[in-house]
Amino acid sequence: MRWGMVIDLKRCIACYGCQLSCKAENGTPPGVFFARLLKHEEGQFPTVRQLFLPVLCNHCEEPPCVEVCPTGASFKTEDGIVDIDPDMCVGCRSCMMACPYGNRYFNDKPQHYFPDGPTPYEERRTARHQTDVVMKCNFCRDRLAVGKEPACVANCPAVARYFGDLDDPNSEVSRLIKDRGGFPLHPELGTKPSVYYLPA
Amino acid sequence: MTDLSDVSSRGVRDDKWIPTSCALCYGSCSILAHRVDDVVVKIEGNPDSAIGKGRLCGKGVSGIMTHYDPNRLTVPLRRTNPKKGLDEDPRWEEIGWEEALDEIAAQLRRIREDDPRKLIVQRTTTVTASRVPMLTFTAAFGTPNLSMAGGGLHCGNGAHLLSGLMHASWSIVPDFEHCNYAIYFGASKGHGAGHASGSNMKLAADARARGMKMVVVDPMCNFAAAKATEWVPLRVGTDGALALAMCHVMVRELGVYDAPYLQAKTNAPYLIGPDKRYVRDAATGKPTVWDLKAGAARPFGDVDAADMALDGEYDVGGVCARPAFALLREHLAKHTPEWGEKITTVPAANIRRLAREFVQEARIGSTIVVDGVTLPYRPVAAIAFRGSQGHMNSVYNFFAIDLLNQLVGAADVVGACLGFNPASNGYPGTGRLAYMPYPDDDGLMIAGTWMGYHKPYPVAEPRLPQKPGLQDFFVMGLNSPYLDSDDREALWDKFELPYRPEAMLNFGANLLMSIGNRESVARGLAEYKFMVSIDLFETETTRFADIVLPDCGHLQTLDSRSNYPFIFSLPGGMGEWCWPIRQPVLPPEGQQRRFQDVLLELSDRLGIRADMNAAYNAAMNLEGPYRLQGDHRYSYEEICDAELKCNFGPERGLEWFKEHGVLKWPKKPEEVYWRPFADVRVPIYWEFLVPVFEKMDAIGAPRGIKLPPEYYEPLPDFLPCLSHCCQKPGFDFYAFYYRDVLHTNSFTLENPWLDEAAQLDPFSYTIAINATTGRKNGLTDGARIWVENEKGRKVAGRVHLTEAIHPEGLGVAACAGHWGDGMPIAKGKGVFFNELLELDWDHSSPINLNLDLCAKVRVTLAEENAK
Ligand code: SF4
Ligand code: SF4
Ligand code: SF4
Repeated sequence: MRWGMVIDLKRCIACYGCQLSCKAENGTPPGVFFARLLKHEEGQFPTVRQLFLPVLCNHCEEPPCVEVCPTGASFKTEDGIVDIDPDMCVGCRSCMMACPYGNRYFNDKPQHYFPDGPTPYEERRTARHQTDVVMKCNFCRDRLAVGKEPACVANCPAVARYFGDLDDPNSEVSRLIKDRGGFPLHPELGTKPSVYYLPA
Repeated sequence: MTDLSDVSSRGVRDDKWIPTSCALCYGSCSILAHRVDDVVVKIEGNPDSAIGKGRLCGKGVSGIMTHYDPNRLTVPLRRTNPKKGLDEDPRWEEIGWEEALDEIAAQLRRIREDDPRKLIVQRTTTVTASRVPMLTFTAAFGTPNLSMAGGGLHCGNGAHLLSGLMHASWSIVPDFEHCNYAIYFGASKGHGAGHASGSNMKLAADARARGMKMVVVDPMCNFAAAKATEWVPLRVGTDGALALAMCHVMVRELGVYDAPYLQAKTNAPYLIGPDKRYVRDAATGKPTVWDLKAGAARPFGDVDAADMALDGEYDVGGVCARPAFALLREHLAKHTPEWGEKITTVPAANIRRLAREFVQEARIGSTIVVDGVTLPYRPVAAIAFRGSQGHMNSVYNFFAIDLLNQLVGAADVVGACLGFNPASNGYPGTGRLAYMPYPDDDGLMIAGTWMGYHKPYPVAEPRLPQKPGLQDFFVMGLNSPYLDSDDREALWDKFELPYRPEAMLNFGANLLMSIGNRESVARGLAEYKFMVSIDLFETETTRFADIVLPDCGHLQTLDSRSNYPFIFSLPGGMGEWCWPIRQPVLPPEGQQRRFQDVLLELSDRLGIRADMNAAYNAAMNLEGPYRLQGDHRYSYEEICDAELKCNFGPERGLEWFKEHGVLKWPKKPEEVYWRPFADVRVPIYWEFLVPVFEKMDAIGAPRGIKLPPEYYEPLPDFLPCLSHCCQKPGFDFYAFYYRDVLHTNSFTLENPWLDEAAQLDPFSYTIAINATTGRKNGLTDGARIWVENEKGRKVAGRVHLTEAIHPEGLGVAACAGHWGDGMPIAKGKGVFFNELLELDWDHSSPINLNLDLCAKVRVTLAEENAK
């Protein structure tokens, strides 16, 4: 069993639904985006292409971040999810240096969005994140535990995100990768990401 | 760490997912609000609903932060500074509701006794739910003046007029399920904006995955164009010229069009005399066609469509008559691709290729079976919206684009350009909500249902205006710039308007930002003797109010019809009919009150409850036992309950909907692809414009109002904007604005999650200029620049150099650039494009009143760069 995600770049329309539904699910503080959307332009007028790339933790099979963690706070679950135990994290940020994709964030102090103080929502969802520790996407483990897809997958209005077992050759994600030539980001780094992209 | 353990440690009293509706844009997607112990901890899409199908855009999921914004209004406020102006502090004092309502009622009573028309009621288009309550109050009060501020004026006057006239709906969309080739002109349906925004994102992605070819005609390559198979950059505002040139190729060079469709479903065969009018049958008064079999002119209803001549010249009782189609064919002679290239900058060869592809893909004459029903199959669609219609040439731009559909019969059949749900057999349980387009005496289509009281066709009789917006004179107009324009007083004088607006009741519209330059709008606003604003925030506009009332937000309010009429935000195409509601998830904060209740309360104080009940009966079409009686003081809950039970039976009232959220039933192919089943024709030749112009001119000319006749010709043409005629040296760019996927109008700029994402986006808050042109002008990416219009109005912002924009274009996203303190997150973010828009006669379409939304501008480096 190895959880993985497939993002279909042909379907993605850069609506930011993933970035914001992740924020709503996880109550991440300002400046922290477990899911992000990148935009890139290629070519010259008029043969230009706008490329949209939604990114998140790749839950690598060979995660350099886990390797460098001195305390064992960063770990990999049996089903392939890379997560952090905040109680063990000492905030040394070695993992942030090690992650070649920039998908880890340091929660340095309690933060909220309005200068006036945290909203009741943030008191519920943001305040539960410990400070002085590193935080990241964990494929919405809480949702998986109750049989739901990750928030960004379930919400994507263009149905551009798929989630499933990469070890099962018959799963939707495995078949999509095979049929459509799915590729991970920076395979040359040897991290073996569990997030794949389908060509636009 | 999980939410559940987090909650249980506090002792859960309440944990519920409540079905309701989003209101972060007018799409009104169905949502589930997760409420735990009186706190909404998540908003997700409601998978039970056809509207959004359980998935939301970034705005929808961010609604929590709009709801919990500490800057929301919570108490009624009264202005103590009598002076009103952009720099005037209203010096608010908090007052109680009793006092506020007493004062409002006293002012409104005085106005109503004097002349009810002096009240202007205005609402934002963002909250669709405000339509019926505001409409009923307006009707009950007795004023004809209901305005949608910038909402309609910018995006609707052309789009809804044309969609209504030609497709019996508010908007048009490709039949995503079956379309193979869609060409978009300044539209983004399916790419994060527009009606049924949520649902269309999936439908468009499905179409893309299926292989639908999508050509996007747009000065900028973002959203729709970014996902297109082909981006066709063009000069801003010239869409109509491109469409006309394509029509030229189809009709005159390729000679390919759907003759049987034109004969049976349009007025193409109607005979036109030298006076540009129908040649009517003397006995019946009906328009005639040339019956090829009989060799005679006969009323259209007496002739088989296949025998109707589309070409030729006929002697009808001494009059030289020609079918409308023959006139169109002749009219298109000048619209060669070479002519089109000069205007649009799109190479003639490309125009020819696009036209060829369009007719080839149309599969004229083919049929397909859908759910057992054999139907015409035309898998092509030409789609237009805000971008192409936001110009002086609003009407003809859209008309020319829709002609592409009409020429190949791609109108409301399988795979074609569809109106959003123009025909419904009704809810099977009660037969209610049934409507169908039907013909007038001339055989032309009247929409089966509409958003306002007045349908786009038949066209009303122009008269000496009784409305300050002049729409009863400009009968092809919807929303008007003349409530706020610089020259409004002069126009009112010329037209002998018998009264002047004195009071404004505003719901949520921020017209200081949404219409045009703020100085012009501010001047108009300051002149109102009394203004009430019901709002969520103290917007720039609300700062002009005398009394401010704090409204409830989308998680606190009630609406029995969040997505009705179906022509507005229910996705088109096959699928399900779906009726969701909006219900309160959280109580009001402080003294917030629902605007619907406030209007009912005001009607009681004004003694117009009986009129209000009657207006609700009319607006909701309440029948039988559900009709509201006399001046009985119904609560808004009771009114919603009556509407639901009236439509869906006594078991399905408000309580049922609160529990279930939505009611659905399947669509039938005969409903979605209704065109072959309705005996209606649509006008490819707008004969009715001829008498409209004559009547308007008869009223206007003696009063010194000169109407340009070229806007009232029955066949579309390219008529330039002022920007296209500007010769001023240094004014090299056509400035335009576009919808950003992260923002709805000026409203969501205050949402800190959306604002944060927009700050990181390369386009949301910047001024997009073509990289090559920009560098030629000495600009570097990120430099602060001034953008100045011909009149010297200017706005500043950071430039973003990009290859993804036409070399002459200058693109600004959203309705940004707030300056007021009432929305501190929004303040200073992005660029206030509308400052570049002049608000006067010269910049308003002389036929449908659409404001000209492009401006020729000069770009200069701001001072700080020079250092
Ligand atoms: S939610 Fe889906 S469509 Fe929207 S940006 Fe993310 S991946 Fe793309
Ligand atoms: S899987 Fe969950 S935590 Fe990770 S990016 Fe998606 S929503 Fe965020
Ligand atoms: S599309 Fe509009 S209605 Fe739907 S979720 Fe987004 S903001 Fe809400």
